[in-house]
Amino acid sequence: MKVPLPIPSIRIGASQRQRCHPCKEKDMVKIDLPREKARDWKEAMLKKMAEVLDKYRSVRLFMDICVKCGACADKCQFFLGTGDPKNMPVARADLFRKVYKRYFTLGGKIWGRANEAEELTEEILQDWYTYFYQCSECRRCSVFCPYGIDTAEITMAAREVMAAAGIATKYVTEVVAKVYDTGNNLGIWPPAWKDNCAFLEEDLKDTEGLDLKFPVDEVGAEILLIPPSADNFVNTNTMIGYAKMFHAAGISWTTSTYCNEGGNFGLFLNYANLKKVNNRILEAARDLKVKKIYWGE
Amino acid sequence: MVEKFLFLFLPYLSVAIFLAGSIYRILVWSRTPVPLRIVTTPAPRTTGGVIWRLIGDALWFPSLWKADRFLWAAGLAFHILLWLVLLRHLRYFLYPVPGWVEGLQTPGLYAGYLIPIPLALLFARRLADEKVLFISIMGDFFSLFLLLSITLSGTLLGVFFRTYLVEVKAYGLSLISLHPVLPAAHWLFGLHFLLVMVLLIYFPFSKLMHSGGLFFSPTRNQRANFETRFVNPWDFPVAYNPQNLWPPEKYHKELAQSKEGKKE
Repeated sequence: MKVPLPIPSIRIGASQRQRCHPCKEKDMVKIDLPREKARDWKEAMLKKMAEVLDKYRSVRLFMDICVKCGACADKCQFFLGTGDPKNMPVARADLFRKVYKRYFTLGGKIWGRANEAEELTEEILQDWYTYFYQCSECRRCSVFCPYGIDTAEITMAAREVMAAAGIATKYVTEVVAKVYDTGNNLGIWPPAWKDNCAFLEEDLKDTEGLDLKFPVDEVGAEILLIPPSADNFVNTNTMIGYAKMFHAAGISWTTSTYCNEGGNFGLFLNYANLKKVNNRILEAARDLKVKKIYWGE
Repeated sequence: MVEKFLFLFLPYLSVAIFLAGSIYRILVWSRTPVPLRIVTTPAPRTTGGVIWRLIGDALWFPSLWKADRFLWAAGLAFHILLWLVLLRHLRYFLYPVPGWVEGLQTPGLYAGYLIPIPLALLFARRLADEKVLFISIMGDFFSLFLLLSITLSGTLLGVFFRTYLVEVKAYGLSLISLHPVLPAAHWLFGLHFLLVMVLLIYFPFSKLMHSGGLFFSPTRNQRANFETRFVNPWDFPVAYNPQNLWPPEKYHKELAQSKEGKKE
C-alpha cells in the first residue's frame, strides 16, 4: 500500500546550520584546485560561471526557462526531511539564478532585486555552500518538472564554480585525493589490496575448502573487475562472490591496484576530476590489456 | 500623437523585439554545447520516440500530471484555451478567412470567456500555497496579471463595449500590409492592444520563453541510446598532479617490474 509522505510546512532556515566541513589544503593541491578560498573568490567564481554557462546548455537553459510552478517543490527528499524552503529544488536553483540574472541577463541588470537578481556576496556564497551541498544529485525533480529541469545539473555547476575559487567540502575532496593516492575511495594502498586478496584466498580455503584465486594486476586477463573498494575491505562476501562466479564461468579476471573503485566522487566536485577518476578505469584496462571491463557500483 | 505611436509604430516595434529576442535566445541555447548524456529515464530509444515525448510534454504535460493534479488541470486548461483564443484572432489578420479559423470562432469565443478562470486559479495558488509563494517573484505575478488583464479587456470588448469589428479588421489588415491606418475604436480596444504589445515585448526576456525552451531541454530531447558513445564537444586530455602517490607513471613502472619478475 502506498502511504503518502506528509509534506512539511516551510520552516525558513531550518537546515541553514547543517553544513559540511570545509576542504583541507593537503587534498586541494592533489586535485588541482586552489589551496584555499581565493582572495579574489568573487572574480574567480564569476569567471567560472561564465565558462560553465557557455559549456553546458542544460545550465543556461534551466536558468532561463523555469516558470516557478512549484511542481518540484515537495519532491525533494531534503525538503521533505528538513522543511527548509531553500531545499526545494526550484529555490535551490534560484540561489544560482539570482547571481546569473545579476551578471548575465539584461533584465537582471536593469530591474535588479525586483527581478530577483542579486550581487554575489559573502551571504549568497554561504547559502550556496550550505544548500548546494544539501543536494544528493538524485535528479528526482527532473522527473516532475514540465521542462525536465534537472537541479542536479545546477548543483554540479554551482559546485564547479565554488571549487574554482577554492571552496569545497572535506568529504568530497578527501575522497577524490585518495583515489589519486591509492586508487580507491577508501584509501586502501596497493600492498594492502594485494594482502587482502591473499587473505581472502586463504580464508576461502580454510572455511569452504575452495581453491579460488583473487588475481591482482594480471596482464592479459579477459576481464578487469572494478568493484566498489569496500568489497575488498568490509563487504568481503561480495568479493568472494565475484571470485566464485568468475570461477564457475571459467573466465580469467583481475583487479587493478591502479583503479579499484567504481564510485566516482568527481561527480560531486567538478568535471575535470570526474573525468580523471573515470579515466583511471580506462588507463588500467589498457595497461592490463583486458578485453572487457566489469564495473560494479 | 499617443494614438499614432500606439497603433502605427508600437506594433512593429514590439513584433520586432519579440522576434529578435526569441530568435536570439533560441540561437544561444542551440549553440551552447551539450557535454553529457543527461536524459531523464525512462526515456525513448529512438528519434521518433523523442519527438513523441516532446509532443506529449508540449501538449498534455505528463510531468505535471505526476507532480500535482491541480496544477496540471489549471495549467492545461489555460494553455488549451489560450491556443483557441490566439487562433481565433487570426481572423483579424487574414482575408479571406480560412474555413478552419471560421470554425474556431465559437469555441474561441467561449474559450475567451473561460480563460480567466484557470488564470485566477493559478494566481490564487501562487498566493495560497506557502511553498509557491516563497519561490514567486515579481515577474511571476506580472505575467499572470498581464494575461488576466488582456483576457478580461478582450472579453469586455466582446460583450459590453462592442467594438465595430470591420474597423478592427481593416486595421489588422493594414498592419499586415505594412500601411497602417488609425482605427476608430473604443479606448478599451486601445488598452487591450497596448497590453498585448507589452506582452510581446516582455516575452523574450522572461520565463515565458519556456514555450520554446522545452524543445532544447537536454533531459527531454536526448535518446536513451546508452550503447553508443556520446562525445563531449569540448573534451580535454587528462593530466595528473605529480603530488599524487600512485600516479600512472609509478603504476606502469611497477607493472613492468612485476612482469619481468614473472619471466624469471
